[in-house]
Amino acid sequence: MRTQLALILFALGSARRRAGRTLSILMALALVTFAFSSVLFLTEALRREYRMASEALPDLTVQRLVAGRPALIEAGLAESLRQIPGVIAVEPRVWGYFFVPNLAGNFTVMGVDTAQADLTNSPWAGAVDGRLPKTGSRDEVVMGKSLARFLGLELGDAVILPVGPHRIQMDLVGTFKSEVALWSADVIVLSLTNARTFLQVPVGQVTDIAVRLSTPDEAVVAARKIAELIPDARVIDRQLMGRTYDLTFDTRGGVMGAMLMPALIAFLVLAWDRLSGVGPAEWREIGVLKAIGWRTSDVIAARLWEGVLVGFCGAVLGIFAAYLFVFYARAPGLSSVLLGWSSIYPSLDLVPAVTLSQVVVLICLVVLPFVAAGTVPAWRTAMRDPHQLLRGAS
Amino acid sequence: MRTSRSKRQLLLLLSTCLALVLAVVWMIADAARRRASSAQRTSQSRMVVRLFGTADMVLSSSSRWLRHPSLSEPGAPFADGPAILDIDPAGAMIGPPLEVLAGGSRGVIEPNKSRRSR
Repeated sequence: MRTQLALILFALGSARRRAGRTLSILMALALVTFAFSSVLFLTEALRREYRMASEALPDLTVQRLVAGRPALIEAGLAESLRQIPGVIAVEPRVWGYFFVPNLAGNFTVMGVDTAQADLTNSPWAGAVDGRLPKTGSRDEVVMGKSLARFLGLELGDAVILPVGPHRIQMDLVGTFKSEVALWSADVIVLSLTNARTFLQVPVGQVTDIAVRLSTPDEAVVAARKIAELIPDARVIDRQLMGRTYDLTFDTRGGVMGAMLMPALIAFLVLAWDRLSGVGPAEWREIGVLKAIGWRTSDVIAARLWEGVLVGFCGAVLGIFAAYLFVFYARAPGLSSVLLGWSSIYPSLDLVPAVTLSQVVVLICLVVLPFVAAGTVPAWRTAMRDPHQLLRGAS
Repeated sequence: MRTSRSKRQLLLLLSTCLALVLAVVWMIADAARRRASSAQRTSQSRMVVRLFGTADMVLSSSSRWLRHPSLSEPGAPFADGPAILDIDPAGAMIGPPLEVLAGGSRGVIEPNKSRRSR
């Protein structure tokens, strides 16, 4: 214990003697760790948000493909789907996109039938300020808060929407709360009738059909039956959606990670160069240490402690800064690089998915190569004859 | 004298390490606290996902395969031509000119602040 304390003190003194070098390496290490940790924290938080919300997804979504593109599907097929064993609910949906040139953004238009039992029973007050459009209403609209703010609208204001060939004035009867902005920022919710006219979806046809099953594990079997029933259908199960999202985040996070790899490699090369560039003074220092009785293992241990102390401080500083940057400053700059540009960004008020194991793995990933980069050259030098080292021979 | 200097150095080192460990502990505790207090938000987001029928997030609204990646068909980025490159408009830091986006649009949304329904 006393020996190790003495070695730690020696390592500290060694770091202080080369303060400029130590500080520059510590800052570079913190910067590289910050960059990697920010990407990891952001993608993990988004992945968590998706996983938490995806439990409310329908088990199957049935689309129709024509010429390889999604096309409208007959609403009457919903009845046939209802007959499949295990299906407990079928919901034909009308939704689509609308491009607004003066905002240069695509908006998602959703038609909802508020007469549905599960919607009337839901405590909507939790997610919506105001209320949802009444069934069959012609002049009511609900928007995401970001979109309403973009248009300069407040609850109760009127907005003119191009519904079919006409421009209809509607009242904003509700806005989705900012807590659900990640899903609703660009959404316009209309009654089913209005959405049909707005998106020019003919009566008797719908965008897709959502299917809920009594046993979600039987989704594959139900999907096969649906495919037999509707040969041109594309059936998406909930697990497939989850995989798509995992892939999306892995790709985006991976691309960012790949972009940062040269920075990490450059840092390790720099660290190797700085730490292995054992100059004449350090040659003599190691030579003196060995001449006064230090063993090779002591020299290595001293360098190991120096690496661990600098590496740990740099890594923790980087990780801590990344946490504040992502979850308190909301990742300015990084979010636009990682997620792309978008006309309507919801504010990234994410819930951290950071765990102790993640932090430990991050610290190890950074500290271990760094310690190795510093220790190996010291070991190679310490293996030499003290006389040779004192003479400064290479 | 040397001993007191060594003690001072060790104390400084210990307090630095302790501060860093405390920073990590605070970070983990803060993350856990924020996760625990997000229960209401989770139920709200599930309500919205149930209403919309999709859990796709509004990360990019520039094209349908980025807005709804889980609902778009695999060839969606290439839908406009068999050999067209995936330009991934949201993958670039700088968006294309607005005139390009405005091409082929229909209609406008106009806020009408002059009338309030209540």
